[in-house]
Amino acid sequence: MDLLLTFVSAALLASAVRLTIPILLTALGAVFSERGGVVNIGLEGMMIMGTFWGAAATYFVAQGFPDLAAASPNVAPLAGMLVAAAVGALFALIHAVVTVTFRVDQIISGVTINLLAVGLARFLNILFFKVSTQSPGINGFTPISIPLLRDIPGLAPLVRDTSPVIPAALLLVILGQWVLRRTRFGLRLRAVGEHPLAADTLGVNVYLMRYMGVLISGALAGMAGGYLAIEQGRGYLEGMTQGRGFIALAAMIFGNWWPIGALGASALFGYFDAFSLRVVNLRIPYQFITVLPYIATILVLAGFVRRAQMPAADGIPYAKEEE
Amino acid sequence: MTTATRFFLLQVLALALAIFFGALVGSGILLIIHKNPLEVYALMVRFNLTRADSIASILFKSTPLILSGLAVALSFRANLFNIGAEGQYYVGAILAAYVGFAVTGLPRIVHLPLVLLAGIAGGMAWAVLPILLKLKRGAHEVITTIMMNAIAGALVLYLLEPGLLRDPAQAGTPRVRTPDILPTARIPSLRPLLESIGLQIPGYSSLNWLLPIGIVLCVFFAYLLRRWRFGFEVRAVAQNPDAAEAAGISAPRVQFLMFMLSAGVAGLIGLSDVLGFFGYFDIDFPKGYGFLGISIALLAKNNPLGVVAAALFIAFLDRGAQGIQVFVGAPREVITILQGVIILAIVVGHELLSRYIRAQRKREAQAAPIRPAAAPAGAGGGGA
Repeated sequence: MDLLLTFVSAALLASAVRLTIPILLTALGAVFSERGGVVNIGLEGMMIMGTFWGAAATYFVAQGFPDLAAASPNVAPLAGMLVAAAVGALFALIHAVVTVTFRVDQIISGVTINLLAVGLARFLNILFFKVSTQSPGINGFTPISIPLLRDIPGLAPLVRDTSPVIPAALLLVILGQWVLRRTRFGLRLRAVGEHPLAADTLGVNVYLMRYMGVLISGALAGMAGGYLAIEQGRGYLEGMTQGRGFIALAAMIFGNWWPIGALGASALFGYFDAFSLRVVNLRIPYQFITVLPYIATILVLAGFVRRAQMPAADGIPYAKEEE
Repeated sequence: MTTATRFFLLQVLALALAIFFGALVGSGILLIIHKNPLEVYALMVRFNLTRADSIASILFKSTPLILSGLAVALSFRANLFNIGAEGQYYVGAILAAYVGFAVTGLPRIVHLPLVLLAGIAGGMAWAVLPILLKLKRGAHEVITTIMMNAIAGALVLYLLEPGLLRDPAQAGTPRVRTPDILPTARIPSLRPLLESIGLQIPGYSSLNWLLPIGIVLCVFFAYLLRRWRFGFEVRAVAQNPDAAEAAGISAPRVQFLMFMLSAGVAGLIGLSDVLGFFGYFDIDFPKGYGFLGISIALLAKNNPLGVVAAALFIAFLDRGAQGIQVFVGAPREVITILQGVIILAIVVGHELLSRYIRAQRKREAQAAPIRPAAAPAGAGGGGA
């Protein structure tokens, strides 16, 4: 009985980890964008682009080079992830040009990018696959088992036969935290988000830094979409992001604009998600559990849990030359 | 030509350029899929303007768009960003549907207004928390309303569970919907009125009285914002909350009222479909109007009268998308992309233009002879 319970909860955790990754990658991206002072509501759209292009690139590489795909099955999904990240960054470039260079309201640009992404994904799907909402099935990465950890009995379902993207995402979080805290680039990015004028006076290129932050956020959101399509969906399906781009924004706020914080928040949200899928035979309606992350975020924003410490110049366009 | 007319003409020019730019991108896409753009656009215009069913469809499609554009524009006018119109209309629509099927025995003259009020109340109820948290605790309304949208989505799913608002008569079928709304709560069709003035629309058209209601609301708010004392207060708060406060205007009060008005209008968005077309609230009822409303408010530059024109324009493109799909075989998504590009081009054009106008005004001010130097920086002096 005890053993069974452990197994159930370990399976639950494994499912929670899988659901955490797309939120986590996008939230990490949101941290970089907002630390530089640019709010990116368009992450949902960049994620949508990632799901489509991730699946499409994986499919075409596997179809175009069957010998290669047979010899090393990881090449096609890897290409998919890279293309997803690149297209995410490309879409983020629109956001950067519109908001940083032209200083248009960041929310407006983001909302429009989301609308654009939905239409574009459908259009491209028709163009490539003749139907509007779904790509052909694809194969993902060969599952890996993490050395050392896989021998711990309780952890087995988490670290055996798991997607290589999962440890990669966790490494990216640690890398992101280090970059933001310790490197020159990270300090400059944060300076630009806190006090762009001061940073500018000290010779930091405010526009360049903001572009970098936004592009990184788009690449990570694209990767998150790629992970959803390649590793979870085994293909693109319209609407498969299910608003995770917005949940990621919530995770970023909940994580207080730090990568490690975003990890904690994403894990919590992923756990709620997994739990709500398994709560069918409990007495609580599953919708009550799915909304917990949103309620928690509202409470944090309102300062009921703790003070939300957003970058001081977050969301405010910066004009170098004052007319 | 006076400066004011020149600026106005420039704005019209910017709008035309943005639409042209969007059409250009659309043409590029059409060329990629080997369609002749001129042919496609010509067909779109012909299909839209020479058929009674197209006209009726454009008007029907524009109804929720007018309301959502107005809702978002009202919040923008008070320097607030109601991205929550989406969730507010889910709640308004399901509440209206509930009052529409559960309250029985009322004559239409009581029941229909009651249902509309239920929609308004639902929209407002969903906005109280975000605006209070904004004014009292400084929580940014964009993020809180996005969260409220997600919660509204979950709430609707929950309310449609068996035993709550789900129609027991549909048990055993895959339909997830409320029971039928009573005839006394359905919004009447516009057809009798249109036929009495000699206009024929197809029998299956669901064009209903919410369209004139929406237009009247736009006219009313345009008048209110321009002529009423409250409208003046709104402008003052939007331009400079501190100065408004100093002049004895309570900025939080004005912002609260405008946000509630915005949410109340938002509560009506879904009713054209729920009360005028389906006759019940379905799990697959149309979503996304709230986000489209943001585009429409931008196109209209937050002018309530402009909202009507912008909504008609978007509805025109939507209907045209159906036409080109059927008759030229061009995917309708081309038009969705075109819409997005037009909106982006318009906001960029608007930003560049207002920057240019600011610079011009400044230059003129500097060229003018000595003026009092006490004007607060950035206030622009408007309305003071």
